[in-house]
Amino acid sequence: MSYFGLNKLGTLLNIIKESGGIRASLYKLYRMDELKLGTLIGTDKYGNKYYENPRFFYGRNRWVEYAPQYRLEYDGSQVPAEWFGWLHYKTDLPPDKDPGRPKYKWMADHTENLSGTTGQYVPYSTTVPKIEAWKPK
Amino acid sequence: MASQAVRGGARQVKPLLSLDNEEARKRALNLYKAWYRQLPYIVRQYDIPKSVEQCRQRLREEFKKHECLTDVRVIDMLIIKGQMELKETVHVWKQKGHIMSYFKPTAEPKPTDFLSKFLQGVN
Amino acid sequence: MLRITAQKSLAGAKVSPKHLFPIFSRSSTDVAKKPEKIEVFIDDKPVLVEPGTTVLQAAALVGVEIPRFCYHERLAVAGNCRMCLVEVEKSPKPVAACAMPVMKGWRIKTDSEMTRKAREGVMEFLLVNHPLDCPICDQGGECDLQDQSMAFGSDRSRFTDIDFSGKRAVEDKDIGPLIKTIMTRCIHCTRCIRFASEVAGIDDLGTTGRGSDMQVGTYVEKFFLSELSGNVIDLCPVGALTSKPYSFTARPWETRKTDSIDVLDAVGSNIVVCTRTGDVLRILPRINEDINEEWLSDKSRFAYDGLKRQRLVTPMLRDACGELKPVDWEAALLGVGKVLKAAGGNITAVAGGLADAEALVALKDLVNKLGSEAVCIENSFPLDGSGTDLRSSYLLNNKIAPAEEADLVLLIGTNPRLEAPLLNSRIRKGYVHNETEIAVIGPKIDLRYDYIHLGEDPSIIRQIENGQHAFVKKLKSAKKPLVILGSDTLSRSDGAAILSSVQSLSRGLQDEMCDPEWKVLNILHKVANQVAALDIGYTPDLSKICESSPKVLYLLGADDCGITRADLPDGCFIVYQGHHGDQGASIADAVLPGIAYTEKQATYVNTEGRAQQTLVAVTPPGLAREDWKIIRALSEIVGAKLPYDSLEEIRYRLEEVAPHLTRYGCAEAANYFCEALELGKKTNAPIDTSPLDVKQKTLEDFYMTDVISRASPTMAKCVAAVQKQNLSKY
Repeated sequence: MSYFGLNKLGTLLNIIKESGGIRASLYKLYRMDELKLGTLIGTDKYGNKYYENPRFFYGRNRWVEYAPQYRLEYDGSQVPAEWFGWLHYKTDLPPDKDPGRPKYKWMADHTENLSGTTGQYVPYSTTVPKIEAWKPK
Repeated sequence: MASQAVRGGARQVKPLLSLDNEEARKRALNLYKAWYRQLPYIVRQYDIPKSVEQCRQRLREEFKKHECLTDVRVIDMLIIKGQMELKETVHVWKQKGHIMSYFKPTAEPKPTDFLSKFLQGVN
Repeated sequence: MLRITAQKSLAGAKVSPKHLFPIFSRSSTDVAKKPEKIEVFIDDKPVLVEPGTTVLQAAALVGVEIPRFCYHERLAVAGNCRMCLVEVEKSPKPVAACAMPVMKGWRIKTDSEMTRKAREGVMEFLLVNHPLDCPICDQGGECDLQDQSMAFGSDRSRFTDIDFSGKRAVEDKDIGPLIKTIMTRCIHCTRCIRFASEVAGIDDLGTTGRGSDMQVGTYVEKFFLSELSGNVIDLCPVGALTSKPYSFTARPWETRKTDSIDVLDAVGSNIVVCTRTGDVLRILPRINEDINEEWLSDKSRFAYDGLKRQRLVTPMLRDACGELKPVDWEAALLGVGKVLKAAGGNITAVAGGLADAEALVALKDLVNKLGSEAVCIENSFPLDGSGTDLRSSYLLNNKIAPAEEADLVLLIGTNPRLEAPLLNSRIRKGYVHNETEIAVIGPKIDLRYDYIHLGEDPSIIRQIENGQHAFVKKLKSAKKPLVILGSDTLSRSDGAAILSSVQSLSRGLQDEMCDPEWKVLNILHKVANQVAALDIGYTPDLSKICESSPKVLYLLGADDCGITRADLPDGCFIVYQGHHGDQGASIADAVLPGIAYTEKQATYVNTEGRAQQTLVAVTPPGLAREDWKIIRALSEIVGAKLPYDSLEEIRYRLEEVAPHLTRYGCAEAANYFCEALELGKKTNAPIDTSPLDVKQKTLEDFYMTDVISRASPTMAKCVAAVQKQNLSKY
């Protein structure tokens, strides 16, 4: 079977099955430019799914599938800090299985990079303007 | 020495290249031809988004700009400058931006009438 | 500086006395009765001077400048600084040049060994008691002591404070919000004291103690409040009196100086605007003997910080919710243009006092082109008789400078001290030096000199006119009488009657005058460009505006006209063009930002009819544009294009309308006094019995009179200081 490459065909069929059918696979391919089979390690609170497949080479064996609501507007800053470590091999323990990870009430929610949106940071001048304009009452 | 100067009457100046207008004309035509022949190579080498025809038109404009000149020394000086430009272009001492700057693609025309000057705040 | 004058004098010396002699002899034969001129020698250069000339003045004639601290040309001689010591041949001691009149044949040596030693010694004594704080002193760079110690002082110090006892130190005084005092720096030249008592007429400053305990100050804790107080800053040769708003701001060499004209009163004082990085840092007076000498009123000098506040920087239109919203020029011009077109000639324009002549002529042309004749100024003015057709009935005909020669001044319904402080200083000068008599018809006010108060009743004018009043005798006997009529009086309902009465009164005096150049009748205005507006043809009939129910009201910097929404018909569209957000802008439907006098090259005509121009010192803020250009742009949008595009072209138009408006520096004299009187007589209206009044009575009313000074924090502080002073027991 392997001689004829039929096992590859079987893997393809398996991937399509895991992705949820032909339509879903085509959408995934369109959205992320690749179809990979892996084990689901965890999901963060925003709905991003984290996969691992040791069959792939180191560096490509952990990946994230961004939550469907992002559609094509996903980018790396949408990965929260706790998953960032796992995704970049700083740790092998996923955050939900890491007992030493601190969790406090005051810790701020993760924010993605807002550059280019209305929420972006705009620097402003702190010097007093030379001319004070009249404001109509 | 002084008597010579008096005899000279009109002030004699040292020519730059040409002795008379006819010679200067020939030089100008030669420079024009040299540029004209180089244009296809310039377009290819520098990969500029202009056709050879557009470049020719620009070249003609550039020469026509100084059409009214009669002073031989001024014409000569411009010819020397033109030759320098050509040499720099041929040897690819320039870059794409330098060539494109002949076309001034980003220069906006300055307003001339009162109202548009007023609205732009330039007068 | 001194070296240059020395060179000049050397060059002058080449003209031999032989050449000079015939000139002098001729002039001496012309004036036969005058005492002989006496000849003295300054550094061996002969000079002929009037008897009584001081050594310092004689030296100045040949271009030798003798160093001085206490001496000032416009103040009395004190002779207490001793810096001007010079050697006189055969005199055992050096003499003080500023106080010593020359004697015949004196040989004065201004650069001899003895003179130099004397100067060095004086300088050394001054510096012993002067702090070494030049690096933090605001006078640094324009300090007489600094300059003269470089030029004449010793090159080494003998001041060794072995006991570390410290230098003499004096407590600083609080003399108001304008002048900062660092009294340790004072060298007791007493210039400020002399200025206060001679020019300003305020005897608050003086000295206490003697020797090294001498102190300059107010004897009791009191503010030095005068409308001319800022001038002591310029007078102070050291950094003892400096400008409070300008303190620690800039050094003189960092600033750009632009010659300009002051527009905060009708005098038109010449000023220098000091700017740095697009910021007006201070305003200094510029010498003009015909107008302001070298003084400047406090409002003109310190109100510049009003130019940075409450400015209109962007065009605004009232939106559907009734709020003024910033828009760009295109939208603003289109919005205003649409309304102007729809008004169909039912337009009224009102010009304020700060509008320049260029904008005035452009606005008048535009309104006329749109089919309306209603262009007027804020202040009302009698229109009966000759009205404003003849210039003689609205000018200060006798000019400002000759006011000091008058021997009798009759002030009618005016307070020159606050309306035109520099004219008042001229009158006061006459009072001090010429024993000028002053009489006032109007409210009792503090003019800083004594006057005969004839009463408040305007009928006194008629009595004087008819020769029934006791004062007439004095008036008739005066050689150079001056009648000054305030503009407040003319805006009364019986203004025409008063004007014609004053005209005939002055005519009577004028006929007896032998000097045809002397003009008895004078009108004193309060705002800068009133005269230009009247010259161009603006009419002073503001009251008719409301009656005519205009569809569009165009306010050109008009903030003091007192028009409110309620006075106007419903649906009247108000356009305000000006540089400050004040009363006018707050009622407007459209605001077009113009620029202030420091930002434009514009023509202003002062109360004597002298055209002068301001120059551009700083760039306009935000989207603000030159006033005449706004009107020119608007005219194109409306479709009544005005035929001028540049300053030269609009000045040419100005010249067409009134040629004297572009003759800068010249005061165009008025004539047709008799004709004005004849036309005025025809009205023959009765004079009211209500007493004459002036708007500005006390110093409190002086500081905030126009949009610029109302926006100025310094002026607000001055008003607060006056109020505080009034509560004080001194």
